[in-house]
Amino acid sequence: MSARRALIMHPSDNVATAVEEIQPGEDVAIPELQRVIALRATEAIPFGFKIALEDIGRGETVRKYGEMIGKASAAIAKGALVHVHNLEGTRARGDLERSGER
Amino acid sequence: MSFLGYRRSNGSVGTRNHVLVIPQGIIAKSICDFVVGTKMILTVDHGSGRTANDREQIARVLIGLGQNPNVASVLVHAASPGVGYPELRAERLADEIATSGKRVEVLDPAKDGGTYGAIVRGIQLGRQLVYEASKLRREAVGDEHLCVGVKCGYSDTTSGIAGNPAVGYLYDKIVGAGGTALFGETTEIIGAETALARRAATPEVAKALLDAVAHREALAKSTGLDIRTVNPVPSNIKGGISSLEEKSLGAIHKAGTAPIQGVLKYAERPTQKGLHFVDNWMGHLSIFAGYAAAGANLVLFQLGGGGVAGRTLLEGSPSVVAPFLWCTANPKTYATAQDSIDFYSGTVIEGTETPEEAGERLYRTVVDIASGTLSHSETLHYAEPIDMYLEEPRF
Repeated sequence: MSARRALIMHPSDNVATAVEEIQPGEDVAIPELQRVIALRATEAIPFGFKIALEDIGRGETVRKYGEMIGKASAAIAKGALVHVHNLEGTRARGDLERSGER
Repeated sequence: MSFLGYRRSNGSVGTRNHVLVIPQGIIAKSICDFVVGTKMILTVDHGSGRTANDREQIARVLIGLGQNPNVASVLVHAASPGVGYPELRAERLADEIATSGKRVEVLDPAKDGGTYGAIVRGIQLGRQLVYEASKLRREAVGDEHLCVGVKCGYSDTTSGIAGNPAVGYLYDKIVGAGGTALFGETTEIIGAETALARRAATPEVAKALLDAVAHREALAKSTGLDIRTVNPVPSNIKGGISSLEEKSLGAIHKAGTAPIQGVLKYAERPTQKGLHFVDNWMGHLSIFAGYAAAGANLVLFQLGGGGVAGRTLLEGSPSVVAPFLWCTANPKTYATAQDSIDFYSGTVIEGTETPEEAGERLYRTVVDIASGTLSHSETLHYAEPIDMYLEEPRF
């Protein structure tokens, strides 16, 4: 296995953070405390951006640092980039308050 | 371990030995232009048309800066437009600063021959004060005399992974040695407040922390805005942070793991040692002056990325009297701004240092700068205006 390319912050996380530029189709190694998770990037993951460790359905919780960082606003496939296009925060959302969604 | 500091008559210890001139204005500026070793606060708000609460907050900033252990003595002038309010009278500011045992002199244009008479007298007094202050020698003191404040900014995902954890290590070390450590930015703990509240030393502290977040979140919702158009700020999103919750959960790493002893207002001085949360706003031209007014004798800005090569790193003295350190864990930021960065912990991402090793190196950097080594920003004779954190409307 080549040098680490992404870091996981907590064992329960379903995303990892790329610490190198990852190209589509590249294998990603995520060293963890007990095991090494291996997966293949389905698209480019820039340095500092997140990659999905598993399939995450629309509306499901995205976890980093062992905590909820938001919900999937679209279905996210394992190996995909996770960012503002498919993940939305749910806190302090005045727009949702106004539309009565929360 | 220990650092070399200036011991004050009230037992506090400074990492610097400034003479402070307050409030802002032509008298302060003229004295500081003429007399070496003087510091002033540059801010546009004199308190006119401000509510009593906000005037008291301004007074707390000015008095707190005067009482800061990095200040040897203080000149207060009575020529500010806000001076007519009881909270901001020069004598009131001077008397409260003097309770810290320092020499405080008041300049009054009405008694000193007008503005220019006050300037001349201020220069004469200022020369005496800096001469007097220069006789004090640094001595070895314990880390319980360190009081630090931190903000993380232009955050990206390196902040949560490697930058803030190094600061967290430093915070645990300082708190463990009996020192004081301040962190804040209420908006940036939304989503992480439950984890933080579990660390509160008492149920009252937990409630105060949760109340501060609830208040801030209710304000955010009352705007009707999608918070994502405001915060995370564009540079956060560009750096890989996707939500306010993700930003918050990374941000709290800078607070280490110690129990939270109290929740403070902006510029409020803690009444005990240990880790404290400050209910403040993230702006760096606001937050650091507040930490210094609360007694911080050193402050840190933990920087992510966000296109910092130009303007950001030239902004000087946002902490007025406390040495100011720039830290980053982003290799690109470091590469573009090595001449301004005091500490780099991208080594943790590169795999050449553990977070603990990086934190230990940050601690040694802090001890050096506390002992008199200049921080990079201190090599610039430049000050940005301070944006005091005032929440109430103006009339």
